[in-house]
Amino acid sequence: MEAGTLSNPVLRARRNLTDRIGDPLLRGLAGLAAVVAVAALAGIVYEVIHLAWPAIKEFGLGFITTNDWNPVTKRFGAAPFLYGTVVTSLIALLLAAPLSIAISIYLTELAPRRIMRPVATLVDMLAAIPTVILGLWGILVLGPFMRDTIEPALHSVLGFLPIFDGDPSAFGYLTAALILTIMITPIITSVTREVFETVPGDLKEASYALGATRWEMIRQVVLPYSRPGIVGATILGLGRAIGEAIAVAQVIGGANLINASLFHTGGTLAAQIASQYSNSAGLQKASLAYLGLILLVFAVVVNVIARIIVQRGRIKDIDDYDIGVVATQAQSL
Amino acid sequence: MAANQHTLLLDRGNLKRRNRFNKAVEIAATVAAGIAVAVLVIVVGSVFLNGVDALSWHFLTTPTALFGESGGGISNAIVGSAIMVAVAAVIAIPIGILVAIFTTEFASPRVAHPIRFVLDILNGVPTIITAIFIYGLIVIPQGKQSGFAASIALAIVMLPIVARTGQEVLSLVPGALKEGAHALGIARWRSTLRITIPTAAGGLITGSLLAVARVAGETAPMLFLSSIVAQGVQTDPSQPLASIPYFIFQASESPKPEAHTEAWAAALVLIAFVLALNIFARAFYARSRKRMGA
Amino acid sequence: MSKRLLSVIVAALALSVALAACGSSSSDSSSSGSSSGGGANSPLVGAGSTLVAPLMSKWQSDFNSKAEITVTYGAIGSGGGIEQITSRTVDFGASDAPLTEEQFEEADAQGEVVQIPWALSGTVPAYNLEGGPKGLKLNGEILSGIYLGTITSWDDPAIAKLNPGASLPATKITPVYRSDGSGDTYAFTNYLSTVSPEFESQVGTSTQVKFPTGVGAEKNDGVAAAIGQTDGAIGYVGLAYAASNELSVPLVENSAGAFPEPGVKSVEAAAAAVEEIGANNEISLAELPSTAEGAYPISTYTYVIVPLETEKATEMKKFIEYAITEGQSYGPDLEFAPLPKQVIAADKEAIAKIGG
Repeated sequence: MEAGTLSNPVLRARRNLTDRIGDPLLRGLAGLAAVVAVAALAGIVYEVIHLAWPAIKEFGLGFITTNDWNPVTKRFGAAPFLYGTVVTSLIALLLAAPLSIAISIYLTELAPRRIMRPVATLVDMLAAIPTVILGLWGILVLGPFMRDTIEPALHSVLGFLPIFDGDPSAFGYLTAALILTIMITPIITSVTREVFETVPGDLKEASYALGATRWEMIRQVVLPYSRPGIVGATILGLGRAIGEAIAVAQVIGGANLINASLFHTGGTLAAQIASQYSNSAGLQKASLAYLGLILLVFAVVVNVIARIIVQRGRIKDIDDYDIGVVATQAQSL
Repeated sequence: MAANQHTLLLDRGNLKRRNRFNKAVEIAATVAAGIAVAVLVIVVGSVFLNGVDALSWHFLTTPTALFGESGGGISNAIVGSAIMVAVAAVIAIPIGILVAIFTTEFASPRVAHPIRFVLDILNGVPTIITAIFIYGLIVIPQGKQSGFAASIALAIVMLPIVARTGQEVLSLVPGALKEGAHALGIARWRSTLRITIPTAAGGLITGSLLAVARVAGETAPMLFLSSIVAQGVQTDPSQPLASIPYFIFQASESPKPEAHTEAWAAALVLIAFVLALNIFARAFYARSRKRMGA
Repeated sequence: MSKRLLSVIVAALALSVALAACGSSSSDSSSSGSSSGGGANSPLVGAGSTLVAPLMSKWQSDFNSKAEITVTYGAIGSGGGIEQITSRTVDFGASDAPLTEEQFEEADAQGEVVQIPWALSGTVPAYNLEGGPKGLKLNGEILSGIYLGTITSWDDPAIAKLNPGASLPATKITPVYRSDGSGDTYAFTNYLSTVSPEFESQVGTSTQVKFPTGVGAEKNDGVAAAIGQTDGAIGYVGLAYAASNELSVPLVENSAGAFPEPGVKSVEAAAAAVEEIGANNEISLAELPSTAEGAYPISTYTYVIVPLETEKATEMKKFIEYAITEGQSYGPDLEFAPLPKQVIAADKEAIAKIGG
């Protein structure tokens, strides 16, 4: 604090003009900014509904379950893309959640101090990679690897299952799901880590005192205590996964049908919009906006649920505050 | 839970098994962390190894080649991205900080809470939807794409990040400082601008830098708002501008290996920028927090 | 220290805003000013067909040096071109597919548009078959069978019958199609619908259709990439793309029963066999007479779509005139055939209408 700011105001009995204007001005500007933020959200919701309206009028709610996307007969439905979104996001969750919990356990319970910071930073950096670069890597590195190694292996071992039945392909649901896994693991990890760090030390000590091994302590103290936080973190990751348009569009192949095989090409709500929005007109464009509306509702609901669960499960201690964690969450959600 | 405690008290003779299981779990957790680090190394490594050869002064200072020709670079994409992100930052950072000030300094909890909620929702809106919004709002009425439209979309993406980190940091400013100023008769606006904000400046700057890092790599808005660009380096934001993410996106879908190499090189430039900004922002905050006496 | 840093950052940001503002104000003044040296004319912004994109690229640089008008083009696919010109977010749209009645209605909503064929090329079902012959002979039936999913392997008897003596590996056929709105799709499906009633009823003709099987990719580039990366893939791309990516090109049977080499000559022959020009200047080359022996059966015109009322009428007219005359000289190297005389004449009439 600089000395100059304190000169004189104590001696002035009444507020001068600058102060009389300054206070309401700042308050007004700040309030205006808040209005802008709210207006942005309201604008988004309004505009998406407005753009989707012709399709809403034409197809109604049946759009959500229609399994068709035919620009020639002008029959459009969201089912193939809802399917793709759900499948890719669920697989990503199934892979990312245990992985993230394991990483968080390592970072909070196992890693020596010297290693913990750098490794935590490295994991956070994964969240900072622009998704178009992940998509590029997916097209040129992961895709061929899936087609030549992973998918044939899955096919030969588990090919009797419909999800692994089909020809290996570089592009498809499975490749997209893996890219999403890479994308959401750092998010789930950072929130889970933060939650793990709030577990009271006494509870952990008590468990050790009763003779628990480290894993037993984690299982009996840390995990139950953190359960709402972990659930919330996972759902936050889900929200990120369903909204990802670019990387998924790059590796999912752009098909308009539901297909049981995970190797097959497909589409998701976000990726379909990204691929087609600037190419289409009329009812098709409105149908894409309708997909956008469904996506928006989906993403908002998931995010809200996640926030509620995380807030309920999180006890924030000022000293534990870590802007890196908040920033990772804030910037990648 | 009580039952478990009792079983721990008794030594049932399975200590070896429990220890072995524990070891297995510890190994699994370490492996998990190793996988995460490995993936990062593999991805960044791929970008580096594949792109470093094409990275040259020529590449950075030459605009993209004409369709079908080779030997171009990304100078127009670098300039375009820089302009669009800068404009977005000029819009989003002041507004974001003002929103943070509003919710921490002026608003009652009844008002602040919904605004925080709105910001969180805004954060969760997929950027492709924001792109559609701006397309309908600006591109269609104006009859053309523009770097400016892209900047507005980027600003909407940045806003919740700046505002939320701003809120966190402003609420950390010790109440004693603010109360002291108030007791001395300093006007609210003065104390906010001269005391509260400078104290929180480290965090505000960090939040802004992280928001910039986030949108530097944003591709979705570019698809509809700034994709039909003229040849050569353009600097007029009222026209569409080239951008590095869109360049990478297009080049990634090309059949030509030369285009792929250019994509890797551009990705290297982008990743270096984003990661450097991220690391710098966090280090900066850690340092300023130390000086804040936290 | 933090205050200084803050002011430095504010200053830097303010500087960039100032730069940006300068940039926009200077271009505003140059575009509102009357003619002066270099580049002061309004730039033309267009979008659409990827088929014409290689040729457009040559036109852009040549036209810029000759007339000093900048043309900006976004190769986003014919569907995108139609969409953008309909909503008037560009000055001209480029599409290989002529506008349907419905599309005309929508485009005319903001003022009448005119459609002008300005280049002529073809779409070819390029393929990638390891161990397979180059120049494989295919016909409409086989192609529609492939895209309907009834023919699934390269050693299918139908293909073998047409190529006696060729050694065909038993590789699975992966049909690749355009997932975005594409004039190539239009040309290809137009051809398939003409030769196969089954294809017409199941899939139909349009810039974007629902193929029952296969892999989707965006733009000509994307399809070319997909073909190159997958053994056994076949996909329809513009002639220029097949050539520049060195994909294997088949010989497609035409209505005369011949198998002409896809290229400038056979496309020219196809155009010569169809003299009729539609009411809106649309010309379909899918139904060729059985006398056209050297004609390539999947040839296609590509059109520019311009509003009659436009502020940039002078520049637009200059550009289209250039494209159909001088610009054509770049065509043959890029697998574009020269426009027939009667088409040029019809085009000039249409150009005269622009700008009222």
